[in-house]
Amino acid sequence: MRIVYSLVALAALSLPVAGPVFAQTITASIPADIRSTNPGVNREDTTDAVVMHVIEGLVGYAEDTTVGPLLAEKYEISGDGLTYTFTLRQGIKFHNGADLTSADVLWSWNRYLDPKTEWRCLSDVDGTNGLKIESVAAPDPQTFVMKLNRPSVLFLDTLARTDCAMAGILHKDSVNADGSWNKPIGTGPFKLDEWKRGQSIRLSAFEDYKSPPGDRRDGYLGSKRPLVKQLNFIIVPDSATAKTGLLGGNIDIAQIQESDVAELQASPNLDVKVLQNAVRHGLIIQTRDPLLKNAKLRQAIAAAIDYKELVATVTSGLGTVNNSPIYPGSRYFSAAEKEGFTYDSQKASGLLKEAGYNGEPITIIANKRTTVPSYPVAVIAQAMLQAAGINAQIEVMEWPAQLDRYNSGKYQIESMSYSARFDPALAFEQIAGSKEKQPRKVWDVPQDQVLIDKLAVIGDPVERQPIIDQLHKRMLEEVPVIFTHNENDCVAFSRKLQGVTPWQSKLRLWEISVQN
Amino acid sequence: MKRFAPNAIIGGLIIGLLLLTAALSLVWTPYDPLALSFRAKLAAPGAEHWLGTDEFGRDVLSRLVTAAGTSVWISLLTVSFAVSAGTVIGILSGYIRGWFDRIVMSFNDALLAFPGILLALGLLAIVGANKYGIIVALGLAYTPSVARIVRGTVLSLREREFISASRVMGNSEAYTMFRHIMPNCVAPLTVLATSMFGWVLLAESSLSFLGLGVPPPAPTWGNMLASGRPYIAQAVWLGIFPGLCISITLLGINLLGDAIRDRLDPRMRGL
Amino acid sequence: MLRFALTRILMSIPTLLIVALSVFFLIRLIPGDPASLMLGDLADPASLADLKHRLGLDQSIVVQCAIWFGNLLHGDLGQSITTQEPVLPLILSRFWVSAQLVLVAVFIACLIAVPAGVVAAWRQNSTVDVVLVGTATLLLSIPTFWLGLLFLLFFGLKLQWLPIVGYVSLRDSFNEGIIYLFMPVLTLFLHEMGVILRMARASTLEVLRLDYITHARAKGLSEGQVLRRHAFKNAFGPTWTLIGVVLGNLLGGVAVVETVFTIPGLGRLLVDSLFSRDYPVIQGCLLFVAFTYVMVNLLVDLCYPIFDPRVTAE
Repeated sequence: MRIVYSLVALAALSLPVAGPVFAQTITASIPADIRSTNPGVNREDTTDAVVMHVIEGLVGYAEDTTVGPLLAEKYEISGDGLTYTFTLRQGIKFHNGADLTSADVLWSWNRYLDPKTEWRCLSDVDGTNGLKIESVAAPDPQTFVMKLNRPSVLFLDTLARTDCAMAGILHKDSVNADGSWNKPIGTGPFKLDEWKRGQSIRLSAFEDYKSPPGDRRDGYLGSKRPLVKQLNFIIVPDSATAKTGLLGGNIDIAQIQESDVAELQASPNLDVKVLQNAVRHGLIIQTRDPLLKNAKLRQAIAAAIDYKELVATVTSGLGTVNNSPIYPGSRYFSAAEKEGFTYDSQKASGLLKEAGYNGEPITIIANKRTTVPSYPVAVIAQAMLQAAGINAQIEVMEWPAQLDRYNSGKYQIESMSYSARFDPALAFEQIAGSKEKQPRKVWDVPQDQVLIDKLAVIGDPVERQPIIDQLHKRMLEEVPVIFTHNENDCVAFSRKLQGVTPWQSKLRLWEISVQN
Repeated sequence: MKRFAPNAIIGGLIIGLLLLTAALSLVWTPYDPLALSFRAKLAAPGAEHWLGTDEFGRDVLSRLVTAAGTSVWISLLTVSFAVSAGTVIGILSGYIRGWFDRIVMSFNDALLAFPGILLALGLLAIVGANKYGIIVALGLAYTPSVARIVRGTVLSLREREFISASRVMGNSEAYTMFRHIMPNCVAPLTVLATSMFGWVLLAESSLSFLGLGVPPPAPTWGNMLASGRPYIAQAVWLGIFPGLCISITLLGINLLGDAIRDRLDPRMRGL
Repeated sequence: MLRFALTRILMSIPTLLIVALSVFFLIRLIPGDPASLMLGDLADPASLADLKHRLGLDQSIVVQCAIWFGNLLHGDLGQSITTQEPVLPLILSRFWVSAQLVLVAVFIACLIAVPAGVVAAWRQNSTVDVVLVGTATLLLSIPTFWLGLLFLLFFGLKLQWLPIVGYVSLRDSFNEGIIYLFMPVLTLFLHEMGVILRMARASTLEVLRLDYITHARAKGLSEGQVLRRHAFKNAFGPTWTLIGVVLGNLLGGVAVVETVFTIPGLGRLLVDSLFSRDYPVIQGCLLFVAFTYVMVNLLVDLCYPIFDPRVTAE
């Protein structure tokens, strides 16, 4: 009879549920459970975003994606570019109350450099990909020194990368006696309280947190004070459910779909902020395909797409066209990069004739993940290509199957998204390379590769700009990929929250307060 | 002549309408179900679009009509697949018996140990989520239950007088099987096939809803509901109409199934 | 009885073995592998090879299979590739969530649907019967994912009575847990009520036609007594069997309800692991479901004689 009794109790209880119970808690929804709490080891973007509340590295990204000191007060690079000397900030404490010294930094780095840790960025600093950290040392409690095998313009960028978890500095009690991972004891503004797998992650404010200097938030730098007692990240895999949760007041802040922005903005209790980030969406074209190896045909495809219309539809009017791999917020995004493909249906039909195209079917592979616009881009591009006389078809696959095709190069066109790369050298490296060695590479033209390799060793922005501009022009002629637009980071939040700013699709819940 | 039961009439009408719509979808829909319209995104039901438009400005009514065709086609093929494969396996197994029966049936039971939809889910991931993948996956998933029923019927008939009589008369095993055993499987199979038609429809929409069914852009009721789900708060019609179509169709199938069973196999009345 | 149970359990072993083996090989036929999925567009050959090695995916499939089976014999289902959690505890914790959902829904449905089905059969072809069977058929015809969606729209969004997202375990807080379970349970309950009512009615009809009921009537027992003493008791047997089937099927069907209401149950675990190609979890889930299905049916068969004295377990 217990069940019957509960039904009665339920009817009585069902009224006053809506609305947060604790004013000092921010409930944020995340689309998937975190993979682990082990920084930079078993991770994906959501894991990084959560873990970044708990740990901090020596350096981090500022809002404009340049790199600045975080746990370090300053750093010096020797004249030959081989020695990096970091000076730590004073008075920083770990979550367990211990003071941060260079011994902890040394311990953390020795751990990251140990292959047993399985740090995902190890191959970028152990010589596998060329660059190697020769030695790490802590000559005095506030100083940490790293020596490299060769100068690199990308080294600090690697240290700041979020997928490397900023090489976050940990207290040695973060691991068990046998060296296995226990839980992160970091220096971040929030402490990890409880992780209920598949359900939620609860963090609480770190009272002894010492914020980096600055009067406001600046990427992962600047002021980072925790302003609420608790953060509750709940796992809501389904965006439609997350949206209803926001509307119903069960969720305070969440990243939402572009198509939901207008609706949520109209709600009296919610506000939405939107900012472009460095993730790029577009169509990749297999230049080795018997049909598509014809550059004229690829150019025809590029000319047949009305980019403004496509981007407006896909992003619900929030996005702007960007055909370049360079992120619009980058200092290298100049006038040349703003010049993209031109939509010209007459030119397209002329090019089709020149290419000798005869109505052969061309298949666009897409997937229905809700986190990327793969499917809508494909649907709209298909309609536009068909209007231009190209027999475009769509094949929708599950993402793992599409990724398999991508990695093996077995496709004609794929509607794809590329993860964020801030530095132009990396942005081009992502798409270009030898298809013999890596079938997933899209752009395989040796003379262009020479230019890309040059970017990786030149640090001076003035010298880099003309190379980047030239590469962009070559990409428009070659059409191995048609980037259409950048991802919009849309953050919806309760109007009770003060101080929310979106940035690179990473939720940052420090410097956010709750007003009742 | 028996009078038609009310459930036969209502069910028959619903299924008749469904088949008619499915046939109609082959020759005519109000709009092209795949044609995008950038101006008419998420338009509410009205004079121009009777049931509104979806997130790409496609006409919902036209898509529902086309989806009816797809669903009927998929369900018919799947049921035929399962029934023919299951019948062959069941008859062979029940007639040959011995080690053949033992091996086939232990496989069969292993497959039956999975809920149909889970089995289909796994198979679908392997054969690939497309129209024909669905037919193969769901067909295979429902074959074991057919095989079991047919085998049971065969076993119970095997020793009956008219079968022995047929053998005594010098008829070949194959002749006996087809002349005497098959017809006796028709009644239970018709009952099973009718309900299976409903299961397949439901399974297809459930799989589409989980993102594993017939892939878009081709519309099915399940994938329309799944793609419309993020918009239901602002465009209620995207959440209502496809679900209504599934429910009404299933209602029709269930009513008709009851009626058929009452007529063919009064022992199973009301089950 | 005990021997019967033991034989049945032994008989289910080859079935489960076939299941395990086919699952293992079939899963690996699916295009896409967990290592490249974890790396996404960052998969340069070196890191991919490294990750595959770490996950043991670089070994031949036969070796992988042998290792898996070896561990299986020790009751170890391996660990998840994406979260590195051990699979068995993961499955058990998710199963508990699904089970409380399904059991509560089916239990309430039985309480209402079985008596209603008996009454409908007793008054066959009366208005009561037509209304009850009509309602049941209607409920049965509404897909759970759509019904759930309508509830979300109505109770969650329009009236804002019930929370839309999240899940609280009954063990953590009974009152709160009930609130989160209400809509999913209601959805499943309504659907299953349709199924069970029709079953109960059918088996009662069967029983009412039998001789001993006629006997009982002839003995002069009142209709109420006939129904209570004989019909109800005997009709419950077949219904009981079908409830076993329902429970098994629900393990599959509950995935959609869990998706609609974001409940971290077994069904969603399976779907999620399928999307992330988390082989050990997929294998574990499917094996577990098959095992549970076999066990539920066994349990039902063992309990059958309690409800139907005509049948003995031998």
